[in-house]
Amino acid sequence: MKINPKLKKDLKSFLLDNIHKEQNQVQVFSADVLGVDEKKVLGKKFSDLNWSQAHYQIDRSIIAGIVIKVGSKTIDLSLMGSLSKLSNTLYEID
Amino acid sequence: MENLGIDGKLLLAQIINFVLFFILVKQFVVKPFTNFLNQERKNEEDKDKLLEKLKKSEEAGLEAEKRMKEKMKKEFDVLFIQAKKEAQVLRGDLIKQAESDAQEIRDKNKKLLEEEKSLLYREVKDKIIKTSLMIVENTLKESLDESSRKKVTGTIIKNYQGKIEIN
Repeated sequence: MKINPKLKKDLKSFLLDNIHKEQNQVQVFSADVLGVDEKKVLGKKFSDLNWSQAHYQIDRSIIAGIVIKVGSKTIDLSLMGSLSKLSNTLYEID
Repeated sequence: MENLGIDGKLLLAQIINFVLFFILVKQFVVKPFTNFLNQERKNEEDKDKLLEKLKKSEEAGLEAEKRMKEKMKKEFDVLFIQAKKEAQVLRGDLIKQAESDAQEIRDKNKKLLEEEKSLLYREVKDKIIKTSLMIVENTLKESLDESSRKKVTGTIIKNYQGKIEIN
């Protein structure tokens, strides 16, 4: 089956845009709703990120703190994440 | 002779009688008896010779038997010493093999014991970590109210020094 080259190019461009958008999409998970001041501090701390299209979600399981996901990257600043790191550290100790 | 009271005829008859008697005795008594005696002597000599021969043969047999016994004893001694040496070598080999096997079993058991110990240690450690983290997690969930959580979140954000790189 032969695909129309223009259609192929458009589809490729569309998919690349989507991937680019997804890669730059910022998702913030927090235990409670973040205030304006906290969002401002976040914007300052992570100035490289595109905060204009950020999605804020509530996740009680993280206890406190935040988890930032950008594309495939994750910054875990939650208490649950700290406990998980502590657990890993304890497992590594003989 | 008649004056002397000797009867010539009678004397002659007696002489003839004596000669006849002598001849007859010699012929039918003395000769067979002598032959018998000679035969007996000869038989006795033959018997003695045979006995001597038998004795010599017996002595030779005994000597041969004695020599054979001595030879057998020597061979037996040699074989016995050789067998003893071989048995000692075999015994040594068996002891070495047994010691080696025992050491192998000890090592294997030690290794198994170490593995069991390590496994038990990991299991206990895993349970302790999981239980401790569960206790901490539940305590934090129960003890932190909304304002505390917000305070903690604010502090975490403010204190964060890392940086994220977006390609």
